[in-house]
Amino acid sequence: MSILDKIMDAIDLETYLVCKDEDEAEKLTKELMEKFGFKDISIVFIQHQGPGARVRARGYIYKPGDRYGWLFKQSY
Amino acid sequence: MKKKKVLLAPLDPVHDIGLKMIKRGLEQKGHDTLLMPPDYSQEEIIKSIIDNDADIVLVSRTLGYGVAEILGKFIDLAEAAEIRDRIKIGIGGMAIRPELAAELGFDAGFGPGTTVAEAVAFVEGRKYIPEETKGKKNKKDITEGYNYLFHNKKIEKLLDSIVDGILDYVNNKTTTAIQRAEIRRRILESDNESEIQRLRVDYSKLCDDVIKSFYVSGKYREKTRPLTSSEVSALKRYVDEVNSRMNPLRLQHNDKNPVVFIQYGTGCPFMDIAHIKSCEAWGSDGAVHFDPSWGARTEGFLEGYITHEEDGSVITYENLKSIKMSLAPNTLWQVRAHRGLNTPETVLLAGKIGADLTKVNIAYGSLGGGTDPERLTVDAVAAIKYAAEFNMPFDVVTNEELCGVPAYKAFAGMLIVSKLGLRLGAKPILQPLFCYSPEVMVSGQMEDNYVDFNAAKIYCLRNIVNAPIWCGAPIGFLTQTEDRVQSSLMTALHASLASSLGVDGISIASSDEAFSGGPITVPARIDTLRATQASFRFFGQSSIAPTENAQNWANEIEEGIEKVLESVVKNGNFIEALYQGILGSREDGAYPGRAGKNSVIKQFC
Repeated sequence: MSILDKIMDAIDLETYLVCKDEDEAEKLTKELMEKFGFKDISIVFIQHQGPGARVRARGYIYKPGDRYGWLFKQSY
Repeated sequence: MKKKKVLLAPLDPVHDIGLKMIKRGLEQKGHDTLLMPPDYSQEEIIKSIIDNDADIVLVSRTLGYGVAEILGKFIDLAEAAEIRDRIKIGIGGMAIRPELAAELGFDAGFGPGTTVAEAVAFVEGRKYIPEETKGKKNKKDITEGYNYLFHNKKIEKLLDSIVDGILDYVNNKTTTAIQRAEIRRRILESDNESEIQRLRVDYSKLCDDVIKSFYVSGKYREKTRPLTSSEVSALKRYVDEVNSRMNPLRLQHNDKNPVVFIQYGTGCPFMDIAHIKSCEAWGSDGAVHFDPSWGARTEGFLEGYITHEEDGSVITYENLKSIKMSLAPNTLWQVRAHRGLNTPETVLLAGKIGADLTKVNIAYGSLGGGTDPERLTVDAVAAIKYAAEFNMPFDVVTNEELCGVPAYKAFAGMLIVSKLGLRLGAKPILQPLFCYSPEVMVSGQMEDNYVDFNAAKIYCLRNIVNAPIWCGAPIGFLTQTEDRVQSSLMTALHASLASSLGVDGISIASSDEAFSGGPITVPARIDTLRATQASFRFFGQSSIAPTENAQNWANEIEEGIEKVLESVVKNGNFIEALYQGILGSREDGAYPGRAGKNSVIKQFC
C-alpha cells in the first residue's frame, strides 16, 4: 500500500523562496512540485515581497469522483 | 470522596505555571495542596513529602535537557526514602510523554495539552473523561425561542397584503415540478414494484430530455457516472469505522456563540461524506448540501448513487440518503432548494430523508438564480408546504446582494418569503449576507471597516421582527484571499462579529474560498474551523463595538424596506414586482430568470 492512499485529497507544500520576482517564484514552485513527482499541480497562493516569495503549492492526489485509495483500505 | 493531601513540586528553575493551575483546580475540589517554590533540590522535595505526609505528588518538568536522568533519580530517591509504595507520583510538563513517565516508574505522565481536569482525575483516582465527551454535542434548533412577532407593524401589514396576493395568485396553478414531487412521493411510499415502474414512466414524461433518457435508456448525463457497488460497500465500512472513533471538538466557547455550518458539494457524495466527517470531528455543527448549477436548470432528478466531475453534488434519493446515514446524530443538515426547477421535489426528498433544514427564496431564485419568477413562486409555495409538513425550518438567503441588489431591496424580498412561510405554517430563518457586497463596494460603506454595515443589517432585522438569524453564506464572502492565513482570519473575525451581534447560526467557507484552481481540500476546511474556534475563545462574552454608522444605516435599510414593500403593494402583484425590478432591477444587476418561463399550468376545477 502506498502512503499516498492515505491522503484524503491533496498535499500542500508551503515555503518561502528566495527569488527576484513572482514569475521566478512561480517557475521555481512548479519545478519543485514536479521534482517531488506531483502530476496535478496548482499554485494556491503566491506573493513576492522584497527578498522572496511566500508560496503554497498543491498536488492533488484524489479529486472528487476518483477511486479513492483511503476508501478501500481495511483500516482507515 | 476522601480529601487528598497533594504536594506539587516543579523540577525546574522557574517554570511552575501548570502546577499553579492544577493547585487551583484541586483546591476547588476540596483537596489540600502544598506548592513548593521552583529550584528546590530533589532531596528537599522528598523531605517535604515526608514532613507533610503527602498522599500524592505532582512534579513538573518543562525543560527537555537531561529529563530522563533527572526524573529517574527522583524515583530512585523516593524508593530509597521508602515512600514510593505509599504515594502516587505523577509527572507533567512540556518535556514529558506518558511513555517516558511509565518507563521511569511514574504512576502517570502528562504531556503538552494536558488539562487541569485530567490532573484532578488522577489525584482522585478516577478515569478522566474529556470535556468533549462529557459535554456531548446536541442538535440545536435555531428557531427555538422565537415567536416571529413583528415589532414594525407597518411592515407586517404590508407583508400580509403581499402574501394574500401570492396565495391568491398560486391558487389553482401547478407546475411539472409540483407534479413530479407528488409522483416521487408515491414512488417512495409504494412497496409495489409494478406500480413503482409505472410511476417512473409517468415521472420521466415530466422531465427534460437529458433526464428522460436516463429513465428510458439508462443513459447518464455527461460528467456523471454511477458509483459502483464496491464503492458503496467501501463507503459503509469507512463511515462505520470513522464513527467508532469520533470524539468531536466543540467550536463554541459559550452558549452565545452561534452554530457553525460548513457547505459541501464536491460533486462526489462520498468525498462530501469524507469532508463532512472531518468537519464534524473538528467541530462543525451543521452541513449544507450544494447541488450542481445545471441541476437547478433541468426539469427532473436522476436516481441512484451518482458522482459528478464538477462542483455541486447531484440530488438523488440515494445520494442524499447516503449522506444522511453518515452524519453524526448532532449534525444539522440542510438541503438547499432555493433557486431552481426542482424546488418542491428537493424539499420533499429532504423531508423524507430527515433533513433538519432547507432553503427557499423566491426573490433570489428568480432574480439571481435564473428561474422564472412566476414559476418559482408557484413552486415555492408547494415547497414551503412540504417544509411545514416535515417540520423543516427554511432559511431565506439574500444572495441577490451578490448580484448588486442593495440590502434593503433584498431584505424586502426575504421578509415577503418569510411571511409567506409563516402563513403556510413553516418556520423561516432570516439569512442576510455577511459579505463585502457590490452595493458597499460602490457606495463605500465598508471603506473603513467590515463591521458597521454587517451590524446594520442585524440591527435592522432585529428591529423589524423577532426571528432567528443565520448569517451567510459564507460569512466574509469576497473579503477572503487565496492566502490561507488571511482567509481564515477573515472568516474568524466575521464569525465573532456575528456572535457579538447575537445571531443564531453562521455558514463558513474553507480557507480555499478564494482559490478557484481546483477542489476545496479538507485541510482548508480545518483551517477556518480552527480559526473560528480560536476567535470564539478570544472574544468570549465580550463584544465588538460598531460605530454609530451601524445604527444610522440600520434605519436607512428599514426605511428602504418599507418603501419597497409599499411599491410592491401599490403594484398589486408580487410576481409582477419581480419582473419589473422593484425587488432588484437590471440596473442593480438582477435579471428575472428565464428557466421555466411560461411553464405554469392553470388548473380548472
